Amino acid sequence: MNDMRHAKSLIFIGSNPPEAHPVSMQHILHAKEKNNAPIIVVDPRRTKLAAKADEYVRIRPGTDAAFMLGLINVIVAKGWEDKEFIRTRVSGYEEMLEVAKKYTPEEVEDITGIPAEQTYKVAEMLAKNRPTSLTWCMGGTQHTIGSSITRTFCILQLVLGNMGKSGGGTNIFRGHDNVQGATDMCILSHSLPAYYGLSDGAWKHWCRVWDVDYDWMVGRFKSKEWMNKKGFTLSRWFDGVLEGEDKIHNGGTSVKALIQWGCGSNSNSRFHDVKKAYNKLDLLVVVDPFPTSAAALCETDNVYILPAASQYETQGSVSSSSRQIQWRYKVVEPVYDSKDDYDIMKEFVTRLGFADQYYKNIKQVPEDITRELGSGSLTIGYNGQTPERIKKHMENWHTFDIDTLQAKGGACDGEYYGMPWPCWTEEHPGTPILYDISKPVNEGGLPFRNRFGDVATYAMSGRVENQLAAKGTCNPRSVVQGGYSEFKEVVPGTNWKTDLSQKTIKEALSKGMAPFGNARARCIVWTFPDQIPIHREPLHSPRPDIVERYPTYKDKADHYRVDTRYESEQAKNNDIVKNFPYTLTTGRQVEHMGAGAETRSNKYLCELQPEMYAEINPKLANDLGIRDGGMVTVESPEGGKIKCKALVTERVDETTIFLPYHFAGSWEGESYADQYPEGNEPWAVGDSGNVITNYGYDIITQIQATKDGLCKISKA
Amino acid sequence: MQRSTHSVLLLGSIMCALLLIAWVGSAFAAAAQGMYSISDYYSDLMGVIGGEWEQVGGLFTYLVGQQYFMWGFLLIISVIPLLFAGHLLIIGAKHFDHGGNQILFFPPLARIIHFIGALSFTLLVISGLLIVCGQFFGGGTFIRLARYVHIFGAILAVPAVLGMLVIWFKDMLPALCDIKWIFMLGGYLSKEIKPVPAKKYNAGQKMWYWCAVFGGLVMLATGFLIWGFGANLDIIRYSAIIHNVLGMVIVAFFLTHCYMSIFAIAGSLQSMKTGYKPEHEVHMLHSLHKYKESDVKPGDHH
Amino acid sequence: MGRVKFLCDVERCIDCGGCVVACKEGHHIPVGVNRRRVVTLDSGKETEKSISVACMHCADAPCIAVCPVNCIYERADGVVLVDKKACIGCGYCFMACPFGAPQFPKGAVFGARGAMDKCTFCAGGPEENFSKEEKSLYGQNRIAEGKVPLCSGMCATKALLAGDADVVADVYRERVFQRGSGANAWGWNRAYKKKS
Repeated sequence: MNDMRHAKSLIFIGSNPPEAHPVSMQHILHAKEKNNAPIIVVDPRRTKLAAKADEYVRIRPGTDAAFMLGLINVIVAKGWEDKEFIRTRVSGYEEMLEVAKKYTPEEVEDITGIPAEQTYKVAEMLAKNRPTSLTWCMGGTQHTIGSSITRTFCILQLVLGNMGKSGGGTNIFRGHDNVQGATDMCILSHSLPAYYGLSDGAWKHWCRVWDVDYDWMVGRFKSKEWMNKKGFTLSRWFDGVLEGEDKIHNGGTSVKALIQWGCGSNSNSRFHDVKKAYNKLDLLVVVDPFPTSAAALCETDNVYILPAASQYETQGSVSSSSRQIQWRYKVVEPVYDSKDDYDIMKEFVTRLGFADQYYKNIKQVPEDITRELGSGSLTIGYNGQTPERIKKHMENWHTFDIDTLQAKGGACDGEYYGMPWPCWTEEHPGTPILYDISKPVNEGGLPFRNRFGDVATYAMSGRVENQLAAKGTCNPRSVVQGGYSEFKEVVPGTNWKTDLSQKTIKEALSKGMAPFGNARARCIVWTFPDQIPIHREPLHSPRPDIVERYPTYKDKADHYRVDTRYESEQAKNNDIVKNFPYTLTTGRQVEHMGAGAETRSNKYLCELQPEMYAEINPKLANDLGIRDGGMVTVESPEGGKIKCKALVTERVDETTIFLPYHFAGSWEGESYADQYPEGNEPWAVGDSGNVITNYGYDIITQIQATKDGLCKISKA
Repeated sequence: MQRSTHSVLLLGSIMCALLLIAWVGSAFAAAAQGMYSISDYYSDLMGVIGGEWEQVGGLFTYLVGQQYFMWGFLLIISVIPLLFAGHLLIIGAKHFDHGGNQILFFPPLARIIHFIGALSFTLLVISGLLIVCGQFFGGGTFIRLARYVHIFGAILAVPAVLGMLVIWFKDMLPALCDIKWIFMLGGYLSKEIKPVPAKKYNAGQKMWYWCAVFGGLVMLATGFLIWGFGANLDIIRYSAIIHNVLGMVIVAFFLTHCYMSIFAIAGSLQSMKTGYKPEHEVHMLHSLHKYKESDVKPGDHH
Repeated sequence: MGRVKFLCDVERCIDCGGCVVACKEGHHIPVGVNRRRVVTLDSGKETEKSISVACMHCADAPCIAVCPVNCIYERADGVVLVDKKACIGCGYCFMACPFGAPQFPKGAVFGARGAMDKCTFCAGGPEENFSKEEKSLYGQNRIAEGKVPLCSGMCATKALLAGDADVVADVYRERVFQRGSGANAWGWNRAYKKKS
């Protein structure tokens, strides 16, 4: 993140750091001040970041991909693309360009509402102020085409040649403390830790790491096939409760029990359905420092609340957005009856009867946990960051340079702060910038990963392309001068990812080469429904007239164990905009965090932001007879309904309603604060914005589409 | 120069204050139409945070900071008693025959209201003066207590002022004879006792009445705003200035009233207790007062 | 060392409210009392700007001039402090202050204001340094500990500068030079203008 200081221009799409990531603003404003870097903000709302921006682009929610492709189109038409970068390090470029050409600035204007001149202007700003740092957050991802949108962001940076460069790249600000660490550990249903997936090989690899018998592991499952099957996602678990056992793909049963561990429930979309599911569960366990809204909303007596310690009452390693690992020390012992997460987990596994398998490598908590996860997470190079090294970095904070993050002298001389992964060995300094070929691999450089074979044939053009980097394109001191495949068979039967002796990795580094090869970045992903990302209208589109040109996907069965509607949902709601005429988008407030269980329990934060509100444009408010501070009712096409205050502001345009999503504690205006355990009522209660968010899930990741739904609003 | 011009205007009435605010507002609106520069932003911000400081805050700070109010009060409470002491020495109190018929001046309700009023005004004046001169006591608990007493007095003053407004309103309307009374200052500058032109209440009493009732209402209103900060900052600042200036006027009248009732007219205090004034006094000081026969109570020596 | 000053760089303030919450948490200030606030003008418009405001610790401070019990004083380093034990809560300082800095907790008697509370520049009060009494009346005394005030210490974007006037001015001057702007430091004219 500090590297953003070197950007010559910055573009933010669906990201509002002054509210969601205030600390990052010091680097962003530094770039603005020191480099005179223009800040471009693309957002449906004129955010607080827009107040600091040089160019504010108001975009219709969910149309980011069209705008990006439009920018690529203009950049290439003007000859501003980085031809050398594309020639040496990008694949599938020509095919991608064919697609992008359809998105002329005029077409982009029709789709996104961004004037064609502004597309030209932004393209020029980006082209003439390189490198550009591109940042996106949930505004870019929480769409049915979220995975396509994020790919267009990356492709734009490839076209501009900004990848793997200081001051460039794509910076995705993570939304929570240690969420990067959680992702790296794949606290998700589709992969084992460190992105190994769910294949047999992955299971065998991790069983070796954990020192657990593979057959014992197989025996834990209903049958072996379930080991390789993706589970439910957070965004759809409640459909696993509600839809009925024959409508889901879960081995013939519905979801019956749920543990929510440090997870705010009201960040789920279609929250009124979530509430129904809570009441249908046989068992709900909430593990949290504060009772979450789930604990209060659930009307049946199936709820157990386990008080967890806060971050100050425990210790261990955490990973930041910048892939840096830090050690967090305990400040105080857990207060009252709370226990830290390690202890709660120990209670669980002991009672469930597999503690002997669980703690084989773990004698000292939490150091041995960090050591164990590191030794197995070779894909992302977590192996170099031992607890000892991490602690040494913490103790020598002052020796690291704020600009480069590299220590000058002292105990950590030459290392990058937090050893951003991949940190291949215990001597490796960490990789501050991914895919940067200007530095030797041993000193934190990296080429693009060779993951998808050495050669590919494209379905759309029939063209065959070498996926390895061009001749002469490699990190300094690389033995192979040009592209090369990933390292395998150094130790027979293994590759760099599965060789626990790490000899493969060391062999690669000794040659100045990356263990994962040196390849090209792909513009074509042949396993995705959209091999080249394109724009598709949201399921509930405010523009039925262009749905035909940009229809959504075919319905997808067994998508993380539930059927997901695309085409049928869109067709069914073709004229929905007549009844639900306003685009709904959600977002954060700086005072509150996530579902707000913690922040709404802090009186000072609640004093600053005490109430739920809906942002509405003054013109629309006047047309509907809504006054600033007056009560309004907002309704979703799925039958969700909330009551809250109106905040009349020009932040949103005349067709958009914005809701912060942090609130809970009241339902259709009626407070249920009395259902919290006594003495634990939040200071601030309000209707949950996510009651209104619409049906819609990404085709790949199943992330909920909270940013581009429809709603109606009226005076309450 | 400008400040003193302002003060003169302010002493007059709240109207002027309102006009000023309106003028400032329109000046703002005019400025808002032009280009929005960083200095415009700063001046807007000043207005949002601290009100129109340049206009009112500065004036307030000047008047209070130079301690004009405190010295004003001190001057009043030292000079007026001195004048009265002189009057008492040179001219002396007026003595009337208390043996004759007694005439009902103050029915019980009037006496109760007056008593509440007297109590509240006394508390207000003493505590108010203590607050103004708080620096001599170093603040702290004592002066804080004075503030509480001041608020208590104000609560008491509400029924008293409203009651006085109702019961004496008619009698206190100005009359022609009041002009004559004023020209001869009620005859208090001479030792001679002769009929003075006045109905039930003389011009001096009327002045005190209007000052105490309407001044009192203004004091209550401004005091309320100062107590609760229940208005925008500029209005509060004007309120504080008005509260101080009007306070001086009321204190001056209050002292006069006390002097008259306790010293200048011997036995006058008694009439507020019993409700009756001696016939002699009434004939001399309220020579035009036409009382009903039923209000007359025969005296002792008849 | 000269006098201390606050400076909030409007170009940097992002209205995150971190300074406000840090101040309240650090000094355990009751809800409703704001030693520091963030003020935003033109919220949601192109001209939106925010600034963090607290007591500016003025030279020749109006509050000191108007206090009827002389309980506000300026230290040699320019920090303006109030003696809460002497303060009677009259509110004159609030009326005199151009920045709306003085704050009053609700009192128990007749709803009269309690003793005035305002930013102490994290320098405690007239009581003995680090005494229990000082802590309960005024909060931390970070200046005596050799630290900067909490608010500016935690400001994410380093918009809020606090400290020796010369150093603060140098930092700001360097920034202005870097961004080639001629903007004035907000509030300095009002707070520190020398009487001619």
